[in-house]
Amino acid sequence: MVHYNLKRITVVPTGKDFVDIVLSRTQRQTPTVIHKSYAINRIRQFYMRKVKYTQATFDEKLGTIIDEFPQLDDIHPFYGDLMNVLYDRDHYKLALGQLRTAKRLVEKICKDYVKLLKYGDSLYRCKQLKKAALGRMCTLMKRVGPSLAYLEQVRQHMARLPSIDPNTRTILICGYPNVGKSSFINKITRADVDVQPYAFTTKSLFVGHTDYKYLRWQVIDTPGILDHPLEDRNTIEMLSITALAHIRAAVLFFVDVSGSCGYSIAQQAALFNSIRPLFDNKPLLVVCSKIDLQSLESLPEEDRQLIMEMKKEASKCSGGIASEMMVEDDDCLLTMSTLTEEGVINVKNTACEKLLQHRVEGKMKSKKLEDVRNRIHVAMPRPRDTRERPPVIPAGVLEARAAAAPRAPRRLEKDLENENGGAGVYSANLRRRYILADESWKEDVVPEIADGHNIADFIDTDILKRLDELDREEHQREEGESEEEDMDDDEFRKLSPEEQEALAAIRLARRNIREEHRLKKTTADSRPMVPRKHDKDKRFTVSRMERHLSNLGIDPSAAAARARSKSRGRKRDRSLGYDEEAGVEAMDVEQPKSKKLRMKSRTRSQSRASMEVVPGEGFKDSAQKQQALALGKKAMKKRSTGKTDRR
Amino acid sequence: MRLEKCWFCSSTIYPGHGMMYVRNDAKIFRFCRSKCHKNFKMKRNPRKVKWTKIYRKLHGKELPQDTTFELERKRNRPERYDRNVVEDTVKAMKKISETREEREAQTLANRMRGKKTQQRREDLAELQQGIHLVKAPTALLEEPSLTLPKEKMKVKVSVEQESKAMES
Repeated sequence: MVHYNLKRITVVPTGKDFVDIVLSRTQRQTPTVIHKSYAINRIRQFYMRKVKYTQATFDEKLGTIIDEFPQLDDIHPFYGDLMNVLYDRDHYKLALGQLRTAKRLVEKICKDYVKLLKYGDSLYRCKQLKKAALGRMCTLMKRVGPSLAYLEQVRQHMARLPSIDPNTRTILICGYPNVGKSSFINKITRADVDVQPYAFTTKSLFVGHTDYKYLRWQVIDTPGILDHPLEDRNTIEMLSITALAHIRAAVLFFVDVSGSCGYSIAQQAALFNSIRPLFDNKPLLVVCSKIDLQSLESLPEEDRQLIMEMKKEASKCSGGIASEMMVEDDDCLLTMSTLTEEGVINVKNTACEKLLQHRVEGKMKSKKLEDVRNRIHVAMPRPRDTRERPPVIPAGVLEARAAAAPRAPRRLEKDLENENGGAGVYSANLRRRYILADESWKEDVVPEIADGHNIADFIDTDILKRLDELDREEHQREEGESEEEDMDDDEFRKLSPEEQEALAAIRLARRNIREEHRLKKTTADSRPMVPRKHDKDKRFTVSRMERHLSNLGIDPSAAAARARSKSRGRKRDRSLGYDEEAGVEAMDVEQPKSKKLRMKSRTRSQSRASMEVVPGEGFKDSAQKQQALALGKKAMKKRSTGKTDRR
Repeated sequence: MRLEKCWFCSSTIYPGHGMMYVRNDAKIFRFCRSKCHKNFKMKRNPRKVKWTKIYRKLHGKELPQDTTFELERKRNRPERYDRNVVEDTVKAMKKISETREEREAQTLANRMRGKKTQQRREDLAELQQGIHLVKAPTALLEEPSLTLPKEKMKVKVSVEQESKAMES
C-alpha cells in the first residue's frame, strides 16, 4: 500500500505557480460580469463568492498535498527511517506543518473578509476588499514557497525509491565497498546494477527478484559500509544500516578474500564485529567472494582464523537449533566467485533455505498456527474388506458407445441453395413450409392494400355475417329517410330574376362603397392629405351626375339645368333665361341656344383631356402614374373566391 | 406494408410519404406532411384546428361514429391465411365503403337542411334594406316593386331632339 502510493503523489507546484493556478481557476469558474448599477446585494454576493471560491481552491489543493505525502509515523519503520535518512524527518515534518498552518490562515483570512464584505456599500469598496483578501492569501503562499519547493524535490526523489516490501522474504547483501555485492545480485536476479572498480558505485538500495521453490524472493543490494561509529556515517551508509535494522531478512555478509577491494580481511572482520548487533534474529551467512583470485586454503593463518571466528559468530547469531546446541554450522560459511560463477547458486539456495526455515520456525512458535492446526482434519475412509468397488456405467450407455452408428445426413436448405445456383443466385421460397388448409394456396399473391384501406384491418372469419347486419341497417335507414323528405320551399318564395338583378346591383354598390372608403382611408405617407386641386381628375361633371340620377330612376334634366345655370354668369344670362320662358328671342338666332349657353358657362379651361393623368407626386411620367393608380384600385378590390370560400 | 393514419389530420399516409416521430415514452406519431408535423411541434390541439377530421367529427360536421368504422379495426393477432376469407373480405370492403359514403351524404344533407329557407329570407331582407342604394325613393314611390328602375336619361334626349326639330 505504501510503496505504490509513493509513486503516485500529485505534483507540488512552486509558490508562484500555485498562486497562478488558484487565481486563474477562480477567474474561470466564477462569474465575471458585474456593474455598479446592480443591486448591492448582488455585488456583495459576487465578490464574496470569489473570495470563498479562492479559499476553497487553496484548501483543496493544500489538502491533497498534505494527505498524499505519507506521515512518517504511520508507515513501516523501515520507510520511516529511510525517509528520515534521506530527507531529514524534522525538515519534512516542518514543511508539512507549514502547509497546514497556511491552510488554516487562508481560511481565517477568508472568514474575516467575508464578514467585511457583508457590509460593503459600493462596488468599489467590495472590489477593494476582494483584492485585499486575495492578495493576502497569495502573499501567504509566497511565504510558504520554500516548503513547496522542498516537498516537490522530496516527491521526485520518493517516486524513484525502490519498491521494497518489508514483510516478504528478503535477502540482504552487505559488506565493504567493492567486495562484489552488485555483481552477485546481477548474477542471481535481472537487476542491472552498476559494477565499477571504484568504491561507492552503488549509492542507494537496489532491489532484484529471484525465485526459489516456486516462491518470489526479494534481493536487496546495499551500498558499501565503512567501519566507523554510527554518528560519523554519511547518508549512503545510513541507507544500508536502515535496511539492516528494519527488514527481517537473510543477511549475506560478503568478505573479499583477495583483498582487491582495498581493504584487508582484518578490517572486514572488524566491521563485522561492529555491526553484529544488527544481525540479531536474522539468519546470517558469511560469503567469501572472489575465490578465483585467492582460494580459502591459501590464505595466511591469521586471516583464516578471523574468518573462522566470523563463522562461529554467524552460526550463533542465526539462532535456531544450531546455536542452542553450540554446534558450528557448516552452512554459515560459503565461498563463491561471480567471475567463474562457481558457488553462486549454492549461496542463493543456502540463503533461501535458511530464511525459510527461520520463517517457518517463527510461524510455528506463534499462537496462530495452533488455532489453525486444531481446525484442520483430513479424513480417509478405512477399508472394511478387500472387495474392489469400481465406478458404475449403465449397460445402455455402454451398448450405445459400442454401436456408434452414424446418422443419415438430412437434406438441408443449405444443400438446396447450393444446388440451385449458390448464395447470390438462389432465393429461398419462404412459403415452402406454410401450414394452410389447402396446399394450393401457398403461392397466392395476397393483396395488402385496396382503395386506401388495409385489407388486414377488415379480415374477419364472420365477415359475411357482419355484412348481412349492415344490409339490414341500411334498409332500415332508407325507410326512415323516405319519410323525412321535407318541403321547405313554401315558407319564403324564390326571388324573381329582376329582383335578383336588383340584389346583385345592391351588392355591387355596397362593395364599391367599401372599396372607395378603403382607397380614401389614407396615411400622410402614401398620398397628400389635401389634394392640390379640387377634382383635378374631373369626376364631378354634370353628365356623370345625369347618368347617376337616371340610374337611380330620377329624371335628371331639372338638376342638370340647375347645375349648369349655377356655373354661368348672372347678369347677362338672366335676361336670356327669362326671355326664353316668355318665348321671345331677344338676341340673334345664329347659334342654337344651348350652344350659346354652354359657351357662356364658366367651366374650367378645357385645355387638357379629362382622362389625361398629370405626372407629379413622385411619378416620372403619366404612364407610370396611370399604372400606379390602376394597381391601387386592383389592390382594394375583392379577390376572387379561393379554397376557403368553396367550403 | 400498411397504410397509416396521420396523427394530426387523420388522413391516410401512403408509403414513401410523411414522417414518423418517436417520443421518449415510446409513443409513435405519424404525420402525412410537414404541415401536420409543424402544427404538432407548435403543440396545437387537433381537436381545435378546423380542417382536421377530428375537429369535424367532434363538431358534428361529419359522421362521428358508425358500425362501418367498427368493421375496420387493427387486429394484432394474425389470422391464418384462407383464400375464401380474403376474397370475401375484399368484396365486403367495397360494400362497406359504399354504405359509408351513403351515410356520410345523408349526414351532410341533414346538416344542410333548412339552408335554402334561411338563404331566401336573408336575401329578401337584404333587398328590402338596400334597395335605396340603387333606386331613388321617388322612383320607389312610383314603382313600389323591389326591382331596378328604368333609365330616365334616354327619354330626355329624344324629347330634346324633338324640340330642336320643332324649333328649326
